[in-house]
Amino acid sequence: MAAPVPTLLPLELVDKCIGSRIHIIMKNDKEIVGTLLGFDDFVNMVLEDVSEFESTPEGRRVTKLDQILLNGNNITMLVPGGEGPEAHS
Amino acid sequence: MSARQTPNEFLKQIIGRPVVVKLNNGVDYRGVLACLDGYMNIALEQTEEYSNGQLKNKYGDAFIRGNNVLFISTQKRRN
Repeated sequence: MAAPVPTLLPLELVDKCIGSRIHIIMKNDKEIVGTLLGFDDFVNMVLEDVSEFESTPEGRRVTKLDQILLNGNNITMLVPGGEGPEAHS
Repeated sequence: MSARQTPNEFLKQIIGRPVVVKLNNGVDYRGVLACLDGYMNIALEQTEEYSNGQLKNKYGDAFIRGNNVLFISTQKRRN
């Protein structure tokens, strides 16, 4: 039988991702890729060196420098270490 | 563990800086951040409103209700 797997809480997984790239998928077909600086209990996220991707206008990208505070309200999914929609091969 | 404070710290740091505020509906507001609160309610000065890249000017003070805010970004204008 399988050995017991140590439990990993979702917020622990996010915490491990601090300092690395993360790919965030929003509710409204928008995606954000950036370096995670931190987050809070509501999963509002502070990111750096951010690129913003929208699905409808053929993969338009808006790159923002410096830091952003992303409202956790619209976040659907987090992908640690993700490169974003342009990384599909 | 210490990362738990980062959004609040970020909010304290950015007051007085030029920021971009993007709303859930895709509209963009660029201005100097006068103040904001924990609900992401925002007061901006010298605000410009961009919709689909097109500018609709607004000067003076602008108040944005926090439930509409998608993100707040600082801007070093390196573009």
